[in-house]
Amino acid sequence: MSAFAEFEQEKQQIDAILAQGYTIAAIQENLDGALLHFIQASSHAERTQLQILTADARKYVTTLLFARQTQLAPG
Amino acid sequence: MADLSTNLAGIRSPNPFWLASAPPTNTGYQVQRAFEAGWGGAVWKTLGDPIINTSSRFAAVSFNGQRVAGFNNIELITDRPLDVNLKEIYETKKRFPNHAIIASLMVEPKQEKWHEIVKRVEDVGVDGLELNFGCPHGMAERGMGAASGQQPDLVEAQTHWAKEVATTPVIVKLTPNITDITVVARHAVRGGADAISMINTINSLAGVDIHTWNTIPHVGGQGAHGGYCGPAVKPIALNMVAECARHADIGVPISGIGGISTWQDVVEFMLMGATGVQVCTAVMHHGFRIVEDMIDGLSNYLDEKGLASVEELIGRSVQKYSNWGDLNLNYQVVARINEDNCINCNKCHIACEDASHQCIDMLTNADGKSVLQVREEDCVGCNLCSIVCPVDGAIDMVAIENDLPPMTWNERQRTIASLNDAYNVEVM
Repeated sequence: MSAFAEFEQEKQQIDAILAQGYTIAAIQENLDGALLHFIQASSHAERTQLQILTADARKYVTTLLFARQTQLAPG
Repeated sequence: MADLSTNLAGIRSPNPFWLASAPPTNTGYQVQRAFEAGWGGAVWKTLGDPIINTSSRFAAVSFNGQRVAGFNNIELITDRPLDVNLKEIYETKKRFPNHAIIASLMVEPKQEKWHEIVKRVEDVGVDGLELNFGCPHGMAERGMGAASGQQPDLVEAQTHWAKEVATTPVIVKLTPNITDITVVARHAVRGGADAISMINTINSLAGVDIHTWNTIPHVGGQGAHGGYCGPAVKPIALNMVAECARHADIGVPISGIGGISTWQDVVEFMLMGATGVQVCTAVMHHGFRIVEDMIDGLSNYLDEKGLASVEELIGRSVQKYSNWGDLNLNYQVVARINEDNCINCNKCHIACEDASHQCIDMLTNADGKSVLQVREEDCVGCNLCSIVCPVDGAIDMVAIENDLPPMTWNERQRTIASLNDAYNVEVM
């Protein structure tokens, strides 16, 4: 699989979780990439995790957060 | 025509081209001929207690037909008496009052030694002094040159001793044979340096003769490490100049040295913070008259850029040089192959397959012709294909527009830290 396809797959997983109303609550970087911690934005009770591997996905997810922090909207 | 004159810490020169302290500035005869050819200044071959040299002193590294890509020497400082040098400096200065003559000095790290030589040299009318804390071979074994230059406290003390009696600007010449050149530069400034110059030569062994097993060069079958210079060292020198230029605690003018061979090299060094440059290897390879092309080229360049003075170049690219952690991770370039220019040599494909990210495909088009095509979505923009491509214009690296916000590694890490700080969860 091409690097772009691997990234796309992980991006879709991230986007799918976010589309379910979760927000990214924490990121644990590790030797295999990054473990994303999500919580339900409404209840904060439900949590889920996703291990992402690719560099582009790790960049994507932090760009989302950085844009949110700086009030910029990524594409 | 643009004004090429420079003023480095009070040392005025008709142009930024100085000869570095080295074999081309060994005698008045040579320096005067250099000034006649057009050089704006000369740093006289290092003065100190006269030495004895070996026979067989130089070696060069040629690469793929490019002679003297790098140059190695085991020659020491002047082997002529100080009085002889001073007489020639005096005569040269008298004949060329508007050219810069800087005396390079190297003595033992003792206060009285520095006082003595500074006074004697300034008596003959030099425009400045350059303290040689850089020569890596021979003199270093005697506690001078790079041996001094690798000890920041000794650089500071010796600079201070020279400054105690100096009436002309003091330039401290730094060795690159050190982990972080800015440390020594800062100590030179603390010692009172009016300017710094870099780089001196890099510890080197030019080669080993695989038939005789002798070192290159060798002195009767024995070799010793030398100092490496020439075009091969330019990137190392340019980085060191830039690192010093952008360091807030240094802040003195820089004389750039290291592999400078063309007017374009001079522009690069000045953009990265040098006020002027010093040249040696290119003159040893091609002679004094290379300065004619350097002057013409620089002059035309400044005119084309609409700059009235060469000093307008100084430091203009320094703000573009930062730390890796401050580079934008969302900036993206990709390779594009121009089929009209591509000769289908496949070097880009091989390089990408073997050493990069396997994103250049070998395809056959509708006419049955072989074509190379980049899968842009997989291209990381490493530049390797365009570097190995033998044809100008066959591969362009093209910036890709995206609407992602610029985000550096440092910003990314701060974002993650801030997020995690706010997340009160036991799994963390």
